[in-house]
Amino acid sequence: MPSSGTLTIVSSKDRSDDLSSLPVVAARHPWRWVGVVAVLVLVAQFVHGLVTNPGWDWPTFARYFTAESILTAVGTTIVLTVLGTVLGFALGIVVAVLRLSRSRFLQAVGWTYIWAFRSIPLIVQLLFWFNISYLYQRLSLGIPFGPELVSFETVELISPMGAAVVGLALHQAAYAAEIVRSGVISVDPGQLEAAAALGIPKTRQFRRIVLPQAMRAILPNAANEVISLFKGTSVVSVMAIGELFYQVQVIYGRNARVVALLMVATVWYIILTTLLSIGQHYVERYFARGDRR
Amino acid sequence: MIEVLGVHKSFGSHEVLRGVSLEVEAGEVVVVLGPSGSGKSTLLRTINHLEKVDRGFVSIDGDLVGYRRRGEQLYELKEREILKQRRHIGFVFQNFNLFPHLTVLENIAEVAPLSEARRFLERVGLADKEDAYPRQLSGGQQQRVAIARALATRPKVVLFDEPTSALDPELVGEVLDVMRDLARSGTTMVVVTHEIGFAREVADRIVFLDQGVIVEEGAPGEVLDNPVHERTRAFLSKVL
Repeated sequence: MPSSGTLTIVSSKDRSDDLSSLPVVAARHPWRWVGVVAVLVLVAQFVHGLVTNPGWDWPTFARYFTAESILTAVGTTIVLTVLGTVLGFALGIVVAVLRLSRSRFLQAVGWTYIWAFRSIPLIVQLLFWFNISYLYQRLSLGIPFGPELVSFETVELISPMGAAVVGLALHQAAYAAEIVRSGVISVDPGQLEAAAALGIPKTRQFRRIVLPQAMRAILPNAANEVISLFKGTSVVSVMAIGELFYQVQVIYGRNARVVALLMVATVWYIILTTLLSIGQHYVERYFARGDRR
Repeated sequence: MIEVLGVHKSFGSHEVLRGVSLEVEAGEVVVVLGPSGSGKSTLLRTINHLEKVDRGFVSIDGDLVGYRRRGEQLYELKEREILKQRRHIGFVFQNFNLFPHLTVLENIAEVAPLSEARRFLERVGLADKEDAYPRQLSGGQQQRVAIARALATRPKVVLFDEPTSALDPELVGEVLDVMRDLARSGTTMVVVTHEIGFAREVADRIVFLDQGVIVEEGAPGEVLDNPVHERTRAFLSKVL
């Protein structure tokens, strides 16, 4: 080793008998091992509890997990999620376009929609739709302040399920609009200039150039929203719709096996959320295609 | 063919163009020189109406850009009609602005049928790269694709906004080669650049812009070798 205070430049010829032949000992992190052991002990305790504590009541869980009534309820939950997502994001894109419009009036319309539907708690909104027939007994199409052309009984037109879908979609649209808008404004303005300079029509610009690039920023947030909506559908149990959470409540109301049935719902929510997360991974990879080198 | 007449443009209180007039004949190559901030890019962007002018007008083959004259009034065109006009005006950006999520061929096919898109790609010597994404290409190759894309709408004129300024020095040559070929084949071009060598060799006319006005214009030999105006001389002494 060089003595302190002098800098020795080692030529490549001398190097072989120098540092490169010495073995390297990695830095040791004893506290990491302490942490690992502590976590493992906690996990072991929890798993042991799951198996040995009779309170979890696994036989009841097993009996109900794939019961027909539960599977039907899972189906209803999925339908509510899909409709809420598709309709919510379709309307959300429209609202986002309004907010991004150059017209002050349209901007204000978009802003007001988002303001209103973010302000009203979902459960309150759902109950409003559920009770819409108290406000309007009949719905009709006609000329404003003029004669009616067709009219319907509100109760016939809007079922509880319909009210739930409308409520979820309108609620979701407000959040979707902001997510879509955040994606659109994250796209490099040069992209819009290039599209404008090439004379690509406006709607095609949005569909072909802006939206695919905005998807990079939209997707992680949108996946959050879909997962959140998926579990959020449990809120519509207040309208006595047979989705997953309502169904387990009905069953444990009858047999008092609360924990086992809550576990049935929990495991289904976990399974479906996992599937959504896997789907998210592949969709994100698709929209990142131009990023590969 | 292009007529720019008395164009004024301000951003806030800063007047970038202060009455610029310029005519470009069909097949002519005009190079616009000038110090940064002199309004070169803004001038180019008013020609295809990316910037709306405050005063004056721009016309191409007698058609006003962005407006329609009816009697004694000018009517602003709708976005859709302006977009149609822009197909007659190719524009090449400093930063290429290729669409990163589309392949090279898809970038061009966005504005032209597939077979034509391939031909334009051949013309810039990148036929073998049609399935690559822009990020997989070098800067010079990306700019050549951008030029092919600008040609794909079969414009009457192509505007180049500092097309080599974002490139590493060793990549400048390949882009200038493509532009030289275009000039030789009779493409009408307006080029904003700092490449004096290119200007000398290719330009039919050089326009020197400073502080929003055209200070001097003429053949490359005159403007580059015997500048009349003091400001042209000062600029050239810095870049030559």
